[in-house]
Amino acid sequence: MGLFTQTFINGILIGGIFITIAVGFSIAYGVMHIVDFAVGEWIMLGAFTAFWLNVYTKIDPLLLIPFIALFFALIGYLFQPVIQKVVNIKHRSAAMMALAFTFGLSTLLRGSALTLWGFNNRNLVTMLSEKNINLFGITLPAIRGVATLFSIIVTAAFAYFLYRTKTGITIRAAAENKTVAGLMGIDGHRISRLVYSIYVGLTAMSGVFIGCIFSVFPDMGLRYTAFAFFVVVAGGMGSFSGAIVAGLMLGLISSFVSVYVGGAYVFLILFFILYLILVFLPKGVLGKGW
Amino acid sequence: MPISKSFSPVKVIVLLLTMIVLFTLPFLVSSFILRIATGIMMWIGLALSWNMLGGYMGYISFGHGASFGVGAYIAGMLMTQLHLPFFIALIIAGILTYIFAALVGYPTLRLSGSYFAIGTWAFAEMMRQLVLVLSVTGGAEGLRLPPMLNDNFFYFVMLALALIVFLVAYLFFENSDFGLKVKAVREEETAARTLGLNTTWIKNQVFSISSMFAGIIGGAFAYWITFIHPDSVLGPLIADQMVIMVLLGGIGTLFGPILGAIVLYVGNQYMLVMWGQSSAYLIILGFSICLVILFLPEGLLSLPRIIKRKGSFSRLIQQKNQVSK
Repeated sequence: MGLFTQTFINGILIGGIFITIAVGFSIAYGVMHIVDFAVGEWIMLGAFTAFWLNVYTKIDPLLLIPFIALFFALIGYLFQPVIQKVVNIKHRSAAMMALAFTFGLSTLLRGSALTLWGFNNRNLVTMLSEKNINLFGITLPAIRGVATLFSIIVTAAFAYFLYRTKTGITIRAAAENKTVAGLMGIDGHRISRLVYSIYVGLTAMSGVFIGCIFSVFPDMGLRYTAFAFFVVVAGGMGSFSGAIVAGLMLGLISSFVSVYVGGAYVFLILFFILYLILVFLPKGVLGKGW
Repeated sequence: MPISKSFSPVKVIVLLLTMIVLFTLPFLVSSFILRIATGIMMWIGLALSWNMLGGYMGYISFGHGASFGVGAYIAGMLMTQLHLPFFIALIIAGILTYIFAALVGYPTLRLSGSYFAIGTWAFAEMMRQLVLVLSVTGGAEGLRLPPMLNDNFFYFVMLALALIVFLVAYLFFENSDFGLKVKAVREEETAARTLGLNTTWIKNQVFSISSMFAGIIGGAFAYWITFIHPDSVLGPLIADQMVIMVLLGGIGTLFGPILGAIVLYVGNQYMLVMWGQSSAYLIILGFSICLVILFLPEGLLSLPRIIKRKGSFSRLIQQKNQVSK
């Protein structure tokens, strides 16, 4: 029973982090209609930025998080016009071209990271790394608890922004129907740029947490691209509540499979479920996606 | 529709010369160059097979490497465990990959666009994980085939396969009713269906045929390399390279994939010789995809047309100079 509860709590805690990634990803998909294959590379870059800043400045990675989120939001803001140019290309399958472009971008980023930093694993050491929380007889690594708490706060803040502020409402309008939103005087380019920058910032920020909990290595992106796709597809593209359910589902599945079946089977089972959901429930488990 | 589109004498002579060069190549060049030529033939075949699905039908697959790996593993297992001769193993591998792809294609082809790309990608990764945990495939140990050290033999096998794929693409996709139907699915699937085309059948056929060729080439590759591992034949790099070769050369054309395969493979081998096994290849690969999509979305084949449209090269350069002044 102890093992079961432990696995369950671990799953929920990991799932919390994926929710933040998925929420940004699915809003970016909703507005720009591109599926970003480079999502895992933003996570990797976020984690590596935290690592190198930590090495050179000795500031705790957890305190660097706001800075990293802002820094990557700026990168996203500056980079978005390039992606927009690809989306607007006069080609018979422009959406596919954008997909292939992000694919190339992810290969480029991964290759650069591998060339610069090699294949080694690195650890992000924070002030919470050695600490544990005891909760009703279950031992939790403190960093996981903090990461989940932080993710929940950020996701809630983002939800508030989307549903209660004027800019958030324009974003949702643009996601629903860009042409009509444009006729209502919403500047689609500005919204796209804003959304992409929020998405990159959120993703890189989650990357710091992932780096703290697991480890940092240039090849990590591929794995988290798979996770992000899982959450977004299982939740339904562009669905906020779906992303939350699917994030928790992903955490629970990976946690239970690795404890009860074996670590080698985690990806086999995840990809199998992802494939089944895509084929049979293309609107996500809640049926709320686009 | 008749096949012969008025062959001009120049075309016939070029075709004949190419054939003569291709068939006498093993007797002219060193074994090092011959191995590179074999690799080029293999990638031409793979790029053309991907182009059937991605180019003519417009279904971008990031999981075509799965067919390659499945073919390689089927051929390898038939040869090591049942001790079948190479060509019989290759034919059985082709048939089994075709059946496998038809079964997989039926549910997968209900998806389209980005969903199809993600679905095939997820399926390919799933196959890699499956082969890694199965014991019959050798798991993470890989699979060792009986060695056969005859470079000429493999050159001719790959040449024959590339020619067959080329002929199928030329006869069935460029110059037949079937090709027109496939292109109709690409342009407007709903309209194609309302006009009475059985789009489900067409899509499934194209998916299975292109997978079958990838599988056969995979089988030949397994025997050529004699050692296969899930990460080498089922890894994402195989599918990536097919996509990039086609995009680089020109998607949906007959000669684009060939040009792309030659440029990318020769570039890859050149880097391998100059710098050794390096992850810098990934940088160049990624960078070239981004550049091609941004500035040459129709591929290298469209370069002459673009230059012609903008006048001559010199005028282009003059314009640039004026702008920079």
